[in-house]
Amino acid sequence: MIARITYALRETWASFRRNLTLTAAAVLTSAIALLLVGTTLLIQRAFENLLVQWRGDVEMIVFVRSDASPDQIAFVDSSIRQADTIVDVEKLQYLDKTQTYEEAKRIFIGDPVTLSLLTPENIPSQFKVVPLTEDPALVRSLSEQFRSLPGVEDVALAEDEFQVISTLSQFIRVVTLVMSIVLLIVAVGLIWNTIRTAMFARRREIEVMKLVGATNWFIRIPFMLEGLLQGLLGALAACGGLWVLNSAWTNGVAGFKPGTGISSLIVPSGFLSGVMLSMLILGAIVGAVGSAIAASRFLDV
Amino acid sequence: MIRLENVTKQYGTETVAVRDVSFDVTKGDFVFLVGPSGSGKSTILRLINRQERPERGEVWVAGRNINELADSRVPHLRRTMGNVFQDYKLLLNKTVFENVAFALEVIGKPRHVISRQVPLVLELVGLAGKEDRFPNQLSGGEQQRVSIARAFVNRPLILLADEPTGNLDPATGEGIMALLDEINRTGTTVVMATHDHRVVNAMRRRVIQLDRGVVVRDQERGVYE
Ligand SMILES: Nc1ncnc2c1ncn2[C@@H]1O[C@H](COP(=O)(O)OP(=O)(O)O)[C@@H](O)[C@H]1O
Ligand SMILES: [Mg+2]
Repeated sequence: MIARITYALRETWASFRRNLTLTAAAVLTSAIALLLVGTTLLIQRAFENLLVQWRGDVEMIVFVRSDASPDQIAFVDSSIRQADTIVDVEKLQYLDKTQTYEEAKRIFIGDPVTLSLLTPENIPSQFKVVPLTEDPALVRSLSEQFRSLPGVEDVALAEDEFQVISTLSQFIRVVTLVMSIVLLIVAVGLIWNTIRTAMFARRREIEVMKLVGATNWFIRIPFMLEGLLQGLLGALAACGGLWVLNSAWTNGVAGFKPGTGISSLIVPSGFLSGVMLSMLILGAIVGAVGSAIAASRFLDV
Repeated sequence: MIRLENVTKQYGTETVAVRDVSFDVTKGDFVFLVGPSGSGKSTILRLINRQERPERGEVWVAGRNINELADSRVPHLRRTMGNVFQDYKLLLNKTVFENVAFALEVIGKPRHVISRQVPLVLELVGLAGKEDRFPNQLSGGEQQRVSIARAFVNRPLILLADEPTGNLDPATGEGIMALLDEINRTGTTVVMATHDHRVVNAMRRRVIQLDRGVVVRDQERGVYE
């Protein structure tokens, strides 16, 4: 068993060095593809901070003053429910001050100054309104009506605030997703080609191995390890790149004027580690798939 | 040990390489397959080690119909046989020792077995002291000895030799034949394809003669004619 393992590792390493150029190309492509995947995930997550309050087709938010009386809150609630031709009453959601504060922690993740001014006591509570109608003018006129109710601090419309960002984020998601997939396929192809070339270079050895009775798995494993290693190396490089990008971005964003929204576009470090782990796994899969296809198709040399 | 029953092997639709061939080789036999180039000698050897499968007929090795053997069992079949070729098929980037050790290494033999077996077999083939040479530092005859050592190091039941003297001068070829004879005397069944008259006539062993894929003579203690 130990003999088999040392054999596999030794052969993997030797082959790796022999095909340095092809290996470098395969590793680099995997790295770029995975970096793109990672960046996409980070961007999505960062935008979510901004969009978190508008999740689930919410188009209007009625903010209620923190010092509003329970009667005033109940009145706002019934007023909204009366507009049941425009408002989807089933989906009407009320977040009390504590819940709103939790949400604010995400919105102001990159803006600790603003966040520090807020407490679960002085923060407004809010009604999240999902409209039934597609007509923005109706929603807008309704918002004017709610604005004048007692205890209401402000009414925000998604149209004014985050429609653009939402659309932008969706567009970026589609574009980067397509590019990532294309690049990942290219990476699989390059690893496949590297392994195929490595096997072709060693066809005499493989022929002898088959004649003396080496099993197909014994012959395959060093090549598959080589592909796996290429995928993992690419992922490792991509993780490094992503870390650098994210640090630079987080530092840069910290300089923005608080309250502009830009400063919300950062991700918690736990999420970053999660993304890196996924990249490593994805890299391993890319390497394993590319080399497995090569190893099973070109064993008959 | 080896039995072919009405074996026919075709390449494509035109070439019938082996046509309705039957013969039986008992354990410990030494058999020559003779015939002109293209008569089907190599094809028969490749049918025996299952590099090829026949269109019709059965090939039995050590009591097993190897055409029915699952692909995953083929490596184990091959471990019971050694192969020697006209062009040696040595790995040029490995030393004599490494070439022979390779055959044990890739079937998962532990290091201590390798370091015991390889010197023994190199001694047997007369290459003691040349362990660290590379193939291109050896004569043709010596290279063929390395390839025989590699084929024999795992003590196979059967040795298949395809024109092993084809690239060698007569004197060197005689040395190789003496070595194969010695291996045969250890109980190993030897099947050797050749069109070298002198070798066949000197040995006086069983001769199976092929002509365009058909057995035209099967004779104990035969000559090439
Ligand atoms: N892989 C192959 N593909 C097609 N034809 C082949 C192949 N191998 C051998 N043949 C043909 O089969 C016949 C027998 O070949 P072979 O067994 O190599 O003969 P020998 O070893 O006696 O010279 C020849 O006509 C040869 O051209
Ligand atoms: Mg031949």
